[in-house]
Amino acid sequence: MTEPLKLSIDGVEITAQPGQTVLQAAIDNNIYIPYLCYWPGLKPYGSCRMCVVEVEGGRGTPASCTLPVTDGMVVTTASTGVSDLRHGILELLLSEHPHGCLTCHRIELCGPQDICLRHVSVVDRCVVCPKNERCELKDTVRFVGVNMESPLTYNYRNLQVETGDPFYDRDYNLCIVCARCVRVCEEIRGDDAVVMIERSGTVLVGTSFGTSLLESGCEFCGACIDVCPVGALVERDHKWDKAVKTVKTTCPHCSVGCQVNLEVDSRGSVIRSIGNWDSPVSVGQLCYMGKFGNEFVNKPDRIKMPMIKKHGELVETSWEEALGIIASRLPDYKGDAFSLLVSPRSTNEQAYLAGKFARSVMGTNNVDLSIDHRLELVEPLGRRLGNMAATGTVTELEDSACVLIVNSNTTEEHNVAAIPIKKGHKKGNKLIVIDTREVELTRYADLWLRPFPGTENALIGGMLKVIIDEGLQDAEFLATTSENFNALTASLASYDLDGVAETTGVPADKIAAAARYFAGGSSAAIVYALDNIEAEARTPLTESLIDLALVTGNVGKPSAGLFPLRPGANSQGALDVGCNPAYLPGQVAVDGTPGLTAPAALEGMVAGTVKAAMVIGDSPLFTAEAIHALSHTEFLVVQDLFLNDLAQSADVVLPMTSFAEDDGTVTNLDRWVQLRRQAIEAPGEARPSTYIFVELAGSMGVSDFGGDDPTAILAEIAEVVPAYAAINQESLEAGSVQLPSPDIAKIALTALPERSARGVAEDEFPFLFAPGRVLAMPGEEIEIIRSNGKNAIRREDALEIHPEDAATLGVAPGEVIEVATLTHRIRGMARTTGTLRGVISATVLFGELATALDTSGDCDPMLRVPGLHIMPVRVEKVLS
Amino acid sequence: MIEFTHLVQNFTEGAREDMREDVVEAADPLRARVVSAITAQPQRTVTVLSSLLAIEEELGYIPPQAIEEVATREAVTVNDVWAVASFYTNFRFTPPNKHIVEVCWGPTCHLLGAQSLLERVQNALGLTDEGDTPDGNVTLKYNTCLGACGQAPVIATDHHLHGRATSESIDRLLTRIKDKA
Repeated sequence: MTEPLKLSIDGVEITAQPGQTVLQAAIDNNIYIPYLCYWPGLKPYGSCRMCVVEVEGGRGTPASCTLPVTDGMVVTTASTGVSDLRHGILELLLSEHPHGCLTCHRIELCGPQDICLRHVSVVDRCVVCPKNERCELKDTVRFVGVNMESPLTYNYRNLQVETGDPFYDRDYNLCIVCARCVRVCEEIRGDDAVVMIERSGTVLVGTSFGTSLLESGCEFCGACIDVCPVGALVERDHKWDKAVKTVKTTCPHCSVGCQVNLEVDSRGSVIRSIGNWDSPVSVGQLCYMGKFGNEFVNKPDRIKMPMIKKHGELVETSWEEALGIIASRLPDYKGDAFSLLVSPRSTNEQAYLAGKFARSVMGTNNVDLSIDHRLELVEPLGRRLGNMAATGTVTELEDSACVLIVNSNTTEEHNVAAIPIKKGHKKGNKLIVIDTREVELTRYADLWLRPFPGTENALIGGMLKVIIDEGLQDAEFLATTSENFNALTASLASYDLDGVAETTGVPADKIAAAARYFAGGSSAAIVYALDNIEAEARTPLTESLIDLALVTGNVGKPSAGLFPLRPGANSQGALDVGCNPAYLPGQVAVDGTPGLTAPAALEGMVAGTVKAAMVIGDSPLFTAEAIHALSHTEFLVVQDLFLNDLAQSADVVLPMTSFAEDDGTVTNLDRWVQLRRQAIEAPGEARPSTYIFVELAGSMGVSDFGGDDPTAILAEIAEVVPAYAAINQESLEAGSVQLPSPDIAKIALTALPERSARGVAEDEFPFLFAPGRVLAMPGEEIEIIRSNGKNAIRREDALEIHPEDAATLGVAPGEVIEVATLTHRIRGMARTTGTLRGVISATVLFGELATALDTSGDCDPMLRVPGLHIMPVRVEKVLS
Repeated sequence: MIEFTHLVQNFTEGAREDMREDVVEAADPLRARVVSAITAQPQRTVTVLSSLLAIEEELGYIPPQAIEEVATREAVTVNDVWAVASFYTNFRFTPPNKHIVEVCWGPTCHLLGAQSLLERVQNALGLTDEGDTPDGNVTLKYNTCLGACGQAPVIATDHHLHGRATSESIDRLLTRIKDKA
């Protein structure tokens, strides 16, 4: 720690860290210097000149946001000279910003119901600005004290408001060109979707050739909206609504666990979601889901009352009657004829009580999350490294010398986890992507290895072989922490580079280069979701990835490790607290036979062995087959937000609280425990699932089940789960708490199975279709069409096929081909640029998805984001 | 051969092979000219700006393909390239007309009567400002200094300087251009 520096600002003696700017030091010490372009976390920019100060003995009036502190500095922020200068600069700024709202003499007098008639012209009125009452410029004007009695004239830019893009409205007439949006997009998101265009008097924020955001590579994360000081960038939904309170909670959409500030209006609706900049997990960032996907909590068609099925119709009833029916029916299904499926969005407390209810009341281990939460990604970690979770910290990926992504569409599925990866790559760190599909990160990748689907393990084996053959392993680490190195080496005999290249379809030199990148740097991390890998193949692949990390000494040190990206917002917490058929709280394996996982339970329902089921929440995740299976049960209880197809088929339907109405904790993928806080009142009689478990346990004769107070349940979790021992409400109120990763003892390396040849495709569907999705496609012919005031992308679908396959099929480049599965058909122009025989790939723009989500009538559209599934297909030439 | 641009970003090695100019030329001649302008730059350090200048020199304007090509080759986004290109008023983004007439309005030319010469040119072309004649023949540009102050007032037609310009010499030059059309 370096010595703090001493300086004085306006006569106040303060201390600051070397490297800080004067403005940061002032903010840290609660001294206000007006600013408009500064934003914590962004590089100093110095464009608005609002923060000018005088320094004793210094020349001129430097901007304090770009002025580093020095020892003994004497700073004046409000001398007459500085104030006059700042006043003048602000007037210049206002010469291009509509400011009736700033200079109106009724500025303090108008109430919410008053109608502005003739004081200010229509376009200037405070009420027509979406940032009314939360405008930073207005605050600055008030502070600086620009004369409000003589309205200045201004030059209106007369630009059309850009409303065509999904989610955002952009009104550059209100822009003050502080470049915060441009800088956040470049420095933090790494997208450069908007830039400063033109110069001097006409400089503004824009895109190449003025194209829509759909074409410019925007990922619709909304970071630019969150930092905009004026009304130029706003969310379209609830554009003019005013917040009465802000509640910090945890995003319900994925396991990254971003902290989000929910703004709530006077009617009790969640009107905006804004990234929380104090969060150590997400550092102010959200993605399209977290930013624009929380509207579902406000929908009027939420279930508000319990319902029971009478004569085939669901009729509203009271909680007492509904719970009474459940309590009278469930005892008949005690044991393994019952299955409990729980929403992956559940809090730790809800998940804990679910496990406890299934085991202690229903006497079964059949309790699981209602999705495929890919336990295989973490089970080997638990077995070998002692904890079923990521070994490192996601934000540290920024400093990993090499990041290896294995079959993960990170930018879409775990968006904010991709930010440190992109940032690191910008700094010059290596990025390797292993994926047959083209996803966004493949464009940044130093190496994109595109193996034939199903041969990923051979590829990892090939990398391991290169590392050991070239002596790149971390011998010191291996000597102290690992066993069985010779067995691993021996098992790699069949992974000769040429053989692996032939099996995977990846050129040998690329495999070798990837191995050298991975083992050559000071640290390396593996980020893996194992999309499109069969469930039974995930375990061996994860074992190989652990070997890769161990052999290169990349476990248990900063900026390194294994990062499994599992689906489900709280899949980690649910596993930790025992909401799992195979694990009790504390990741303790069940004695004897584990219960049924969600897929097994669904099979059991069809087979008739599982006769009753209770489903808690978010059933839109269920496929038609799953709903069909659940309808086979004799007794089905569904607690949900909406009366969807599954709820329709239930015997009892219970109204559920959404994430915005729950109190509790959730645990993210890199072991941060964070709070869910209640932001709004639940509609009607919606209650959390904990209430149901406690009530049912009581009426089913279990007296010591405990209450449904989240704080008390958390205390109980802290008692039974050793890793959570230090977790309590007070420590979480202060901020997110990261659970420790266990120390590494001796770990055995796992020998790889003999390299097997590539599987032979089935005759009927001999090709594999690998869809991809990216943010931008420079060089592609894309047309933006407007329909119903919205922009949509139109482009010709191109299907990439290997030249030899094209020759076999008699397809020439530019001809139309059709790929067909049992149920779907896609037509597109053939391009003979495929790199793998037997694989057809196609890549679409993320913008199409964003448009679809924006215009969707679905209650919770973000749950419907289509994954990129590799499917067997048939290819036919279309004869014109 | 539109797809090579994104292949380039993916396969950093071997990328140049995908960019074989004969392949490009077949599909998009304009793109081929852009590519050859970028690759023919003699200097060691190729930047976004140097590439844009080379393209402007070759084509007389910066087409969308050029923004894409420069972005791909410099590993930045199209928006980044646009930020540079739109900063400089000397770049234009639509094809210029067949002939370019530049009138110098630097201080020396101004003192020696550039204003009246400019009006003469504008009247002859039917323009009131800088810009393109609707017939597609002439593009008029103001120039801050053509670098021949000793010959002031100066005008340039298709980058050829004409010193000590007079109303009569301007009429002759414009007639010649019209005849060439």
